[in-house]
Amino acid sequence: MSMSTPGPERVPSTVKVGKTTGQGKPPAGKPAGNRPAGNRPTGKGGKGRKPVTPVKVSGGRNWGPIAVAGLVVLIAAGIIGYGVYASVQGSRDWTEKVADIQGIVNYRAQKNAQIDDRTHKNGALTYVTSPPVGGAHNQTWQNCMGDVYSEPIANEYAVHSLEHGAVWVAYKQGLAADQVDALKKKVEGKDYMFMSPYAGLDKNVSVQVWGYQLKTDDVNDKRIDDFIKAARVKASMEPGAACSSGNTNTGPVTGGTSNGASMDSPS
Amino acid sequence: MTSDVTSPDAGSASGEAAARQHRFGYAAVALLLAGIVLGAAIGLVVPRLRTPGDDSVEAGFLRDMSSHHAQAVEMAMVAHAASDTPGVVTLAADVATTQQAQIGYMQAWLRDWDLSPTGSEEPMAWMPDSAGAVVNGLMPGMATPEQLAELRKATGKDLDTRFLTLMRAHHLGGIHMAQEAERLSGNEKVDWIADSMIAAQQGEIQLIDDLLKQAQAG
Repeated sequence: MSMSTPGPERVPSTVKVGKTTGQGKPPAGKPAGNRPAGNRPTGKGGKGRKPVTPVKVSGGRNWGPIAVAGLVVLIAAGIIGYGVYASVQGSRDWTEKVADIQGIVNYRAQKNAQIDDRTHKNGALTYVTSPPVGGAHNQTWQNCMGDVYSEPIANEYAVHSLEHGAVWVAYKQGLAADQVDALKKKVEGKDYMFMSPYAGLDKNVSVQVWGYQLKTDDVNDKRIDDFIKAARVKASMEPGAACSSGNTNTGPVTGGTSNGASMDSPS
Repeated sequence: MTSDVTSPDAGSASGEAAARQHRFGYAAVALLLAGIVLGAAIGLVVPRLRTPGDDSVEAGFLRDMSSHHAQAVEMAMVAHAASDTPGVVTLAADVATTQQAQIGYMQAWLRDWDLSPTGSEEPMAWMPDSAGAVVNGLMPGMATPEQLAELRKATGKDLDTRFLTLMRAHHLGGIHMAQEAERLSGNEKVDWIADSMIAAQQGEIQLIDDLLKQAQAG
């Protein structure tokens, strides 16, 4: 086994050497007769130095690979730069975008236990802010599928809608019809939005999500749109919670609207 | 190799060959470094290049279809609670649970892609020739607030007929959106969910037509 295998392998290797040397010789002999006469009339030295000229050319060509490498590095740097930029932009949190909007009050930062309270309680409740931006609320939520309510709604339901990620556009009761229409255009047909008049509002418009509020007298204030874009759905305390199947009636909390399931024990 | 060794000029050119080798050595190292940097860059960026961007067809479709589905869930929950017809109650449960689950898929992908669940673009902006498709903020097939109010008040056969008619139109609008998304997007997740929406809702339309006939006959 070991004797027979190396034997035949060694034979072809010697054959190969013989072939290459054999092939090398004839080309060396033949062009010597034909080419030097045509290309270089000087003869003797010309034949041998032909291979030298490509060496000089390749020495100058070194800039080629360097230029290519430089270009590659430039492209790589560009890609990295874009990647960093894109990842920074993409990871920019909605709260940072809200923080950029002048005049928005961040109640989440205040760590007020009454505003942060998320328990479900029955009946009429009192709130720290007007309109409320958070706190204990009824088990029912106000339908917030782009619903436009023409009468005031129950705070106790509206706060539950905020918990689900809705934007509540409240406006001063008695606001001119054309101004109400301007607000309506921002709300109609958009899920996770609802709007209603609000009794005793100190500004014409108050826009709120859970823990954030913006008040303004101008219904066309660009900050309203910026706030909606930045916070709608994202402000949800319960990701995935819906805005449908809620209460669609207006008016204050009524004892009968609660369906009685899983009531909180009085605390 | 062998011809170089046998050629008589190999000895005289060896100095220049050595210099050449040095230069190529530097170039090779530079290329290698560039390759490493490029490889690292590709590794860093590729997940981002593979996932759709904020103004992509995919993001627009997932956001808009989430809103579109949300209304179907709303109507289905109304019918599920108020209808006395077993076939309508079952259909309503099927629509509500399926579409709410699909909203979950769509919102999860947006989250995976580091994209906002809501966009800053107008609804349907991802779809070419969509001008006029959105009326009062409502996408194709969506019921108006008045139609929803009437649905909530309706009872008996009137409720069944209203629900089935509204859901039929809603499905047609949804199927059209899904077909456009499938045509415009090469993303396999989006294609998969759009395809399953088209198939399921086309099947449901046949069921809706049967139930409508029964409601109108009885």
